[in-house]
Amino acid sequence: MRRFLRNNAIGLVFGGLFLVVLVGQAFAGLAVFNEAQRASGLPDVSFWRYVTSASFGVDVAENWQSEYLQFFLFILLTVWLLQKGSPESKSLDKPGRETDEEQKIGRFSDERSPKWARTGGWRTRIFSNSLGLVMGLIFLGSWLAQSVAGVAAFNEEQLSERQDPLSWGQYVLAPDFWNRTLQNWQSELLAVASMAILAIYLRQRGSSQSKPVGSPHEATGVEG
Amino acid sequence: MIRLSVLAAGVLVLSAAGCSSVGSQEEAASGVAVRWQKAVDAGDGEAACAVLAPGTLKTVAEDQPCPQAILDKDLPRPGTVVETSVYGQWAQVKLDDDTVFLGAFPGGWRVVAAGCTPQGSRPYDCTVEGD
Repeated sequence: MRRFLRNNAIGLVFGGLFLVVLVGQAFAGLAVFNEAQRASGLPDVSFWRYVTSASFGVDVAENWQSEYLQFFLFILLTVWLLQKGSPESKSLDKPGRETDEEQKIGRFSDERSPKWARTGGWRTRIFSNSLGLVMGLIFLGSWLAQSVAGVAAFNEEQLSERQDPLSWGQYVLAPDFWNRTLQNWQSELLAVASMAILAIYLRQRGSSQSKPVGSPHEATGVEG
Repeated sequence: MIRLSVLAAGVLVLSAAGCSSVGSQEEAASGVAVRWQKAVDAGDGEAACAVLAPGTLKTVAEDQPCPQAILDKDLPRPGTVVETSVYGQWAQVKLDDDTVFLGAFPGGWRVVAAGCTPQGSRPYDCTVEGD
């Protein structure tokens, strides 16, 4: 058991923190929602009613989509884009998809390689892109969920202000949708750029995301 | 990845659960709007005031009792329902010559604003509404 916890600590701790913070968001969001309810002369809603509402849904989904977009872009673009001195970059002589030998696929695989890396053909092509594909699909799904929950939450506000609701088609062109979308995208892109650049000159001893403390600033593709 | 799939499935189930009762809510909201219009038209102020939201009732009854005050308002005649929209705690029922806004209360939908006419991109102008 201790060994399992130790060997899976990153996933377990971040997964656990995610749930705690999500519940915290739900309580804070419920308080905001009920303030608006009272201001409109309507009764408070229950915790369960709120966490199944469009308002909670859009607040969750708009953050999810941007996180998965960040990972999708980071995974895909770092195939080709390099950053001298950054542990987030591959070494400068390896831009692109690299050779089958370097990637240990097909006849270059070894006995411990995943089956789909060994078999070749479409299975290996899919497996070779599976991380980006899944991140991209989750991004698109979350963004779609944001638009569906967003139009319902937006229309709830519209009706509370005695205004007409919008269709989904109108909403995805409306400022509210793009304001929610772009404010999340900009922060994710800033975080990636900051991490890639700051990690050239700064160190965090023992972190997998940092170069060893004594590594030179120009050392690229080295992680602690 | 399995954990994410379960999470995504959960979100879908919750979304479906949220959407499943929209049809019946639309019927309930439009039913209240029609009942409200008919009560006003029939001169039944008590019945009309019984479906008003508390804030709206308070505003209507500022100068005289609601059952009298509501009948003094210049409200449109009953019409047929053209379109009903329900989003969360709010509903809008468009009738031939009127638009009614309703809010969700523990006992069902109540009229928050009625006798409303559109003002372009500005909020509807309503004959009956709360402060």
